Amino acid sequence: MGALGRLNHFFWEYKYLFVPGLLFTMVSAGFQITVPMVVRQVVDSIPRFVRLYTLYGGTPAQTELYAYFFVTLVLFALVIVALSGTSGLFMFLMRQTVVVASRHIEYDLRNALYDHLQRLSSTFYQEYSTGDVITRATDDIEKVRRYVGPAIMYVTRSLVMVLVAASVMFVISPTLTLYALTPLPVLAVAVFFMARMVHDRSDRLQRQYSTLTSRVQEALSGIRVLKAYTREAAEAEAFDDESREYRARNLTLALVESAWRPSFLLLVGVSTVIVVWMGGQLVAEGAITIGNIAEYIIYINMMTWPVASLGFVITMIQRASASVSRLQSIMDREPDIDDGPQTNPAIQRLEGRITFRDVWYQYEDEDEPALRGVSFDLPADQTLAIVGRTGSGKSTLVRMIPRLLEPDAGTVAVDGSEIETVPLRTLREHMGYVPQDVFLFSDTVANNIAFGDLDADREEIRAAAAEADLMENVENFTDGFDTYVGERGITLSGGQKQRTSIARALIRDPRILVFDDALSAVDTATERNILRSLRERQGRHTLVIVSHRLSAVQEADLILVLEQGRVVQRGPHETLVNEDGLYADLYEKQLLEEEIQAL
Amino acid sequence: MADDASDDHFEPEDTVDEVNTFDGRLIRRLGQYLKPYTGYIVLALFITLGASVLGPLRPWLVQKGIDNYIVGGDLEGLQYIILYLMLALVGEGLLSFGENYLTQWIGQQAIYDLRTTLFRHVEGQSLAYFDRTPVGRVITRTTSDVEALSDALSSGLVSALGDLFKLFFIAYFMFTLNWMLAAVTLLVMPLMVWVTFWFRRNVREQYRETRKQMARINSFIQEHVTGIHIVQLFNREEEEKERFEEINDKHRAAHLHTIFYYAVFWPSIEFISSVALAAVLWFGGFRALGGSALTLGVLVAFIQYARQFFRPIRDLSNQYDTLQKAMAGAERVFSLLDTDEGIETPSAPAELDEIDGTIEFENVWFAYEEDDEGTPDWVLRDVSFRVEPGETAALVGATGAGKSTVMNLLLRFYEIQRGHIRVDGQDIRDLRLRALREHIGLIPQDVFLFSGSVRRNLTLDDPGIDEETMRRAAETVQADQLIERLPDGYDQDVKERGSSLSRGQRQLLAFVRALLYDPDVMVLDEATSSVDTETEALIQRALERVTEGRTTLAIAHRLSTIQDADTILVMHKGEIRERGTHQELLAADGLYRKLYDLQYADQGAPRGDRARTDQRVQT
Repeated sequence: MGALGRLNHFFWEYKYLFVPGLLFTMVSAGFQITVPMVVRQVVDSIPRFVRLYTLYGGTPAQTELYAYFFVTLVLFALVIVALSGTSGLFMFLMRQTVVVASRHIEYDLRNALYDHLQRLSSTFYQEYSTGDVITRATDDIEKVRRYVGPAIMYVTRSLVMVLVAASVMFVISPTLTLYALTPLPVLAVAVFFMARMVHDRSDRLQRQYSTLTSRVQEALSGIRVLKAYTREAAEAEAFDDESREYRARNLTLALVESAWRPSFLLLVGVSTVIVVWMGGQLVAEGAITIGNIAEYIIYINMMTWPVASLGFVITMIQRASASVSRLQSIMDREPDIDDGPQTNPAIQRLEGRITFRDVWYQYEDEDEPALRGVSFDLPADQTLAIVGRTGSGKSTLVRMIPRLLEPDAGTVAVDGSEIETVPLRTLREHMGYVPQDVFLFSDTVANNIAFGDLDADREEIRAAAAEADLMENVENFTDGFDTYVGERGITLSGGQKQRTSIARALIRDPRILVFDDALSAVDTATERNILRSLRERQGRHTLVIVSHRLSAVQEADLILVLEQGRVVQRGPHETLVNEDGLYADLYEKQLLEEEIQAL
Repeated sequence: MADDASDDHFEPEDTVDEVNTFDGRLIRRLGQYLKPYTGYIVLALFITLGASVLGPLRPWLVQKGIDNYIVGGDLEGLQYIILYLMLALVGEGLLSFGENYLTQWIGQQAIYDLRTTLFRHVEGQSLAYFDRTPVGRVITRTTSDVEALSDALSSGLVSALGDLFKLFFIAYFMFTLNWMLAAVTLLVMPLMVWVTFWFRRNVREQYRETRKQMARINSFIQEHVTGIHIVQLFNREEEEKERFEEINDKHRAAHLHTIFYYAVFWPSIEFISSVALAAVLWFGGFRALGGSALTLGVLVAFIQYARQFFRPIRDLSNQYDTLQKAMAGAERVFSLLDTDEGIETPSAPAELDEIDGTIEFENVWFAYEEDDEGTPDWVLRDVSFRVEPGETAALVGATGAGKSTVMNLLLRFYEIQRGHIRVDGQDIRDLRLRALREHIGLIPQDVFLFSGSVRRNLTLDDPGIDEETMRRAAETVQADQLIERLPDGYDQDVKERGSSLSRGQRQLLAFVRALLYDPDVMVLDEATSSVDTETEALIQRALERVTEGRTTLAIAHRLSTIQDADTILVMHKGEIRERGTHQELLAADGLYRKLYDLQYADQGAPRGDRARTDQRVQT
């Protein structure tokens, strides 16, 4: 449970809610416990009243007694109502403080987690899947919340109720109390075990539900294949199997859940029966009154929930503890890439000269380095192209320019200063990056483009879209720039997405522009248009472009040819074409093919 | 047991969609799914009836015990009462367990039937349906919407009746014991009902709100985690954090409202019970003075009854929610079942066991959809061509020319509006879908991989394909090296991290898949970009192997791959503009030539030529 200690500062922070909250809890429980005592008084008084009343039968005192008893009974009734009203009021206040505090803590925790997530770098996201992160931000935080709010409330309330009620009962009759309360610990234990069974079985049910859902999802996403290969019937049978398994797991859960209320009922019922039975004997002996029996029955009913909740609370605390650990494993993680002591805040502007000196990099789960001693020097405003086969290290290389990755060895420098000394914010402010895998937010086209520059007005957005050769598409969308893309709106084609992503980078008018295979999904004509826009911008940025197609790189000032992480060739197109090597091979192959075609 | 911890009774909660009218038609239709289990439902009703009597019987027995034996000191007689009490208790426990489990069982059977029916129905829809309907929505229908019906189908009717029984018996015993006291106690009942329904209504609304906000939090995180590098690269951390806090705040606000209602509800119920209790004591005592036959035992019994009738009321209000939720789910599920866009099977289908593989399109017109005025938006206009057995026809043209449509129509994924498509002279509309598709192998451009092993993806779980055949097919297209390089070979999970296959590699797997089904006609859509040279060469060779001796309809993106095709069909805006062999078409110096120039201009033409090529593109 040590992990839970890390939450203590929250109690301190919200002490203005917790301290009164726990007081309210006790007060409420206290008032509630007095009600049965009054009931006992009434029940025991009634026969006495009746006896007295009949004793004075026929005398004038009888009328007076009648009025007196009547008032007394009304008073008793009012006291019961008042006590339970007061208890209720404090119960209301208790929930409005303790449970409310837990929601504030939940809010704080989630904000803190999100803030932290934004600072973490790619190594973290390689380790944790999106689903995993979401679970922590929702389920785990909710479990923690149950501990800081409800669990603490239940424990306090239960302890007060059980201790006070048991003491009151004990004073009345130790023997009867012992017998009557015997089933209650059993109840707590039973609740604990059943809650755990329910939890385990729900988990297994939930897993099967996911399986079922992904089965449907896959069948529907791959419906073309299923239909083309006439596998519908087989798939339906496979779905039957999964559904059957789901039904079976539902029923094993139903087994425990069906037993839930009956066992509850049984244990509480047994307590009541014991009270009647043992109590009956004690009444006969004259040790207690019938009012005591009524009182006991109410106490037992009153204690049932607090005792049972103790069974829950243990599980709640256990889960919260595990959840805190899971949250801490994220929160304790320092971002790999961040400003540090070596950062020079004086660097506010960048020209765009990029220098790599003997840069090495190896991904954690791979055997071979992705980059082996890459060096180059690219003056500001020039264009660098990187070509090579899939997996030769092109993307790894360009990801180092905005510091998405850091070299294992060697240095990356911008304007001659080591990249670590440039404030991260400044570095990225000057960067326009178009990643290989396009990512757009489910928002409007305009907002997606303006993601690169919040202050951009419609004119600027339009200009950027035009440069990315997107205008024609936008004009065809029903709502133009205000068309939603993604889940809530239209689905863009790969090329359209890529161009939106390009516009997002261009709108920043960055000093350094990086295209990581960013033209792969557009056709040749579009590629040409975009390249033309980039040429027109020449002098405004340093351009780094990764491409599969040689057509996109021929005008670069410097071309690097990568093979297995090594720069095997460098130079402008004219030089490389005439040099023996991979570049010339690639080029020649294309020429050759063309010649053959031309025959 | 789902628990909401702001409620100390851990009751399950769910969102409820607004369907206020209880549509009789929907209920009857739901009833259809329960029909096969009528016998069990009747049994469940009897069990429920039993459980409902035994509960209220216990305070009545307590009364007997106190008045007849405890007051008189007859301990022996008391033992009998204790025995009866125990019997009633155990009986109630067992019966209510039986009720709970049996109703769940019935519900699960019905849900299973509904779910599997629904899945078959959805699966049978034509592709036109899937084009229009987001997959996510259909998934929700077959999973969570069906799930929403589960409670209604399982406990719905039986439990609601059970609660009514319970209320009835509580009232019955109370009136038997003392009708006046019963009347006084029941005076608070309307108040309790009102509070319960007031609470239920408000909490339901808040719950919908919290669920909505939670969903927003989820999708916000999902989106921002996926695109975290974009947020970081574009320095948008501050703004995005503020946006997140806003959503988080709304989520908290909704919960704070919910807490308020709970905070009012539980004390109110407690208070109302106490009012009933106070009324019983006051009125009971008062009547006792009047010399009525009110005994202590009756008083004690009433103290218990005053607390007992709250639960059935609360459960009934839950049932109301369950039913409402189910109505919303049922409406959506049934509307899905009512939309049938499956392709009709001819009443007397023609047989087509062995085919030679002649493909013929005759004046085919096709539109995916109509515009607002009902005029079809033609994607294919008067397309006619013929591919002889064993020959290869290649479709070329710019994006959107209608190439993929031709492929889709041959597989009858869509119905054509005019003209005929024939396989071996047989109109495909006269064939069973199965009979048609069994003869055609499909290799799509974007190969969809199912989760699971490479083996599953190759065989599609067809038990008729043995290991040997599979391996041979993989060797034929030289995919074996690729597969064997994977850590687990044929057992490699294709969706597992680190085993991601490139587009080209996926297409190679599709070649194997197609070969395994040994079709007479091969339809393939060549993978376009992002295929590295090595894989491209592999695909090229695979293509040659797979098309050998089969009628092939290929969509080509790289003109280099189709120079050997028997016919090249050049498509433009839904029409076939040119046809012929590679050489003929080049010589004709028409559209094909332009396409050809466009593709190769940049890669080989001297710099001076570029301007000319640019102009050509624009024509």
